Amino acid sequence: MSFLHPLALLGLAAAAIPALLHLLQRRIPPEVDFPPVRYLSAAERESARRLKLRHLLLLILRTALIVTIVLAAARPLVPLRGGGAHQPTAAVIILDNSPSSGAIVDGAPVLERLRAAARSSVARTTSADRVWLMLCDGVLRGGTREALLGTIDSTRPGWLRLDLVQAIERAARMVNAQPVVGREVHVLSDLQRTALASGQAVVPSGVRVLALAPGRGASNRGIAAVTVSEGAAVIELSGAMLDNDGTPQPVPVTIRIGAGPNRGEIAARGLATPGRDGSGAATRAAVTVSLPAQSLAPGWWVGEAALEPDELRADDRRPFAWRVAPPARAMATPGAGSFVAAALAVLQTGRHTIDGRDVVISGGDLPSSPHTIVQPPDDPALVGQVNRALGSRGVPWRWGPLSTPGVLTSSERGGGLNGVAVARRYRIERAGSGEEGASDVLATVNGEPWLVRSGSVVLLGSRLDTAWTALPASPGFVPFVDALVNRIVMGEAEVAAAEGAPHVEFRTRGTDTIGATVFGPDARESDLTPATAALVTAALGGNGRTSVLSAERFAAEGFSGTRRADASGILLLLALLLAAAELGVATRTR
Amino acid sequence: MVQRLDLLDPAEVARLGGIEIVAEGVVEGFLAGMHRSPFRGFSVEFTEHRAYQAGDELKYLDWRILGRSDRLFVKQFEEETNLRSMVLVDASRSMAWQGSPERLTKRAYADRLAAALALILLRQRDATGLVTFDDQVRQVIPARVKAGQWTRIVRGLLDTPDGQGTAAHAALQRLTALLARRGMVVLISDLLFDRELALAALRYLRHRGHQVVVFHLMDPAEVELSGPPEVRFKDPESAVSVVVRPRELARAYAETVRREIAAWRKACRRHGIAYHHVQTDMPFGLALRLLT
Repeated sequence: MSFLHPLALLGLAAAAIPALLHLLQRRIPPEVDFPPVRYLSAAERESARRLKLRHLLLLILRTALIVTIVLAAARPLVPLRGGGAHQPTAAVIILDNSPSSGAIVDGAPVLERLRAAARSSVARTTSADRVWLMLCDGVLRGGTREALLGTIDSTRPGWLRLDLVQAIERAARMVNAQPVVGREVHVLSDLQRTALASGQAVVPSGVRVLALAPGRGASNRGIAAVTVSEGAAVIELSGAMLDNDGTPQPVPVTIRIGAGPNRGEIAARGLATPGRDGSGAATRAAVTVSLPAQSLAPGWWVGEAALEPDELRADDRRPFAWRVAPPARAMATPGAGSFVAAALAVLQTGRHTIDGRDVVISGGDLPSSPHTIVQPPDDPALVGQVNRALGSRGVPWRWGPLSTPGVLTSSERGGGLNGVAVARRYRIERAGSGEEGASDVLATVNGEPWLVRSGSVVLLGSRLDTAWTALPASPGFVPFVDALVNRIVMGEAEVAAAEGAPHVEFRTRGTDTIGATVFGPDARESDLTPATAALVTAALGGNGRTSVLSAERFAAEGFSGTRRADASGILLLLALLLAAAELGVATRTR
Repeated sequence: MVQRLDLLDPAEVARLGGIEIVAEGVVEGFLAGMHRSPFRGFSVEFTEHRAYQAGDELKYLDWRILGRSDRLFVKQFEEETNLRSMVLVDASRSMAWQGSPERLTKRAYADRLAAALALILLRQRDATGLVTFDDQVRQVIPARVKAGQWTRIVRGLLDTPDGQGTAAHAALQRLTALLARRGMVVLISDLLFDRELALAALRYLRHRGHQVVVFHLMDPAEVELSGPPEVRFKDPESAVSVVVRPRELARAYAETVRREIAAWRKACRRHGIAYHHVQTDMPFGLALRLLT
């Protein structure tokens, strides 16, 4: 039993009023002369038991009367057996059309089964219901029943992953805020195990979560990520790596230059072979495929990695982008320090850089090169001089006073900066009142800028020396210097990844392309293993609120939680009877 | 239209004047309504004829009427001072109570009833006396028929203040010593005392050959319980008190009063005592008529 106005139950405290009145009204009664007191005493002796019973009965009746009225005011809802129209209900129907819903299972798309159930749920709503539809984009769509049915019919597998835990929390909050009798969340999803891994949804009491039990899972593998480094593409696979016998199977991968309608012939092939971890499960497979870098002109290139088609086509292809560029002509001034000089020597050996003055790494001075990476001077007395030089070059950043030690935090993907200790640093401050661009600050310590870029000048908060920071002694130092001279000081951003339909978007500054974003499905969508009913129940609200139901039971249980009767009428009738009984006892037993 | 005082509301009649005026007015009206003396005996002075009834002595048959009309009539005679009456008035504190300011106290009602009764008896030339009592005998006026006796009786009533407790049996025992000759004893009281003790004394009087009449006076408020929601009722004589809710106890109380009256009536009947329940809103004439 639930209550429509549970706060009214606070009025149950009023049930103590009859007893309190009985106690508080024990005042001194007026005294009156009355000669035949002997008759009164006799009458009272004879009536004592009857009067006590009457008082007790009246106390019970009055207390019950108040309790009944308060309960009626709270509008109790008692479940009804059998059919009948349901009470007004707020319902969110979550139709999970994430990429995995496009998988073909038993000859039909998973989404088709989910759409049929969603259509059935919406069809049973009435004009008194408040219904929203949520797709994989997480947007709650309201509208008429016909409009929602139309939306469901036109729904196709999307490219966004739906976190079911968060989606159900949002849906539950929405329906819980509605002033109606019933509150339900219908979950129509393939209930991938990976979609429930973000914790447990908090579902308010009174909200029912009905989940359609997942169908049979399918074996699938997909391309999780493609990164290009050193003229080769590293292709990571996700999903099931075992065959029906549980044996890891090698997966053929092809690479084409160009993507979408412009993709060319197969440029390279590879065979990804998964391994086994300690528990015998297959590990994620990866394969490195060399790209024909020698034949590619400098500039931004797009490619596409592909697997052989399987049950889920959405993750069988993934585009990637990379930039083909000649090595930077870089050098270090004597004041740059020995660690920088050593790193540049290593990079020159590996042909990542060649000797030249296009990029100069200095230590306390500001050479007139096209691109300059400036460390703070070793002598604090020279800081002011370098700050003035930066100002004359139009750089809006300055070194301020020495600041607190800390660790590095960077948004640079793959850079080994995060977590590196910084023992000594100058606080980098922005001169003037201009607003700094978010992209100008590339790394911070304690929330303060440590690595900033302005045009062709890059400033470091610490010298690249172990007396200042542990970075020169870390494995990521040489790659960091490589990124500094080849990419960061050139104003280029790294290749970013985003969720969406597979394609590549380039970012430009002026006429220059400075970065790219590669879109594709979330790698977790490739694992089509359904969650167990216990996991679904635990993740989506817990026992008593969440039910995982077969298609038939889902159709039967939908809105059945709101087939409840408002018992306030019966309680008011009972209150009337109690009042009549109280009146009868109070008058007829005198 | 001339109002008969004996049939008016006692409280209204009491406003006309003192006990003497009220009693005389009541008696005048009462006797006018009766058209004959309420108390009859056999004397040498003929008063009227009545039809013969089985058991009548044949010496009182009127032979002349029998000879002329062949019907049996007996002659009745008015007895002269052959009835000695004592009126006992309860003057205890409980009698000084009234349930409403519009009504007489039980004592005031009893005084007026006693005065009227004495006047009737004295007019019939019956020797009439008075005893007032509370927890002891307060006034004793021996039964006489001489002139001024009624005035003495009225004075005796007026001179008796409201007393304390009630000791009816003591007064009745004292009375037995005062009544050497057989006669009539009229007790006017609210009977709020021990019934068995009082009955023992009344039985003794009856045993001595007296005709005993009991007027049980009650205020209407003593019959029907009412009052505020909760009240402490205190007995003015014994200071015993009890807290009750009148609305809750009214029915049981009325039943108790009814049983008490019935018990008095039954006990009196068993011992040949005339018992009359009188409420203080009953016209005096109706109360007196109970004696006839």
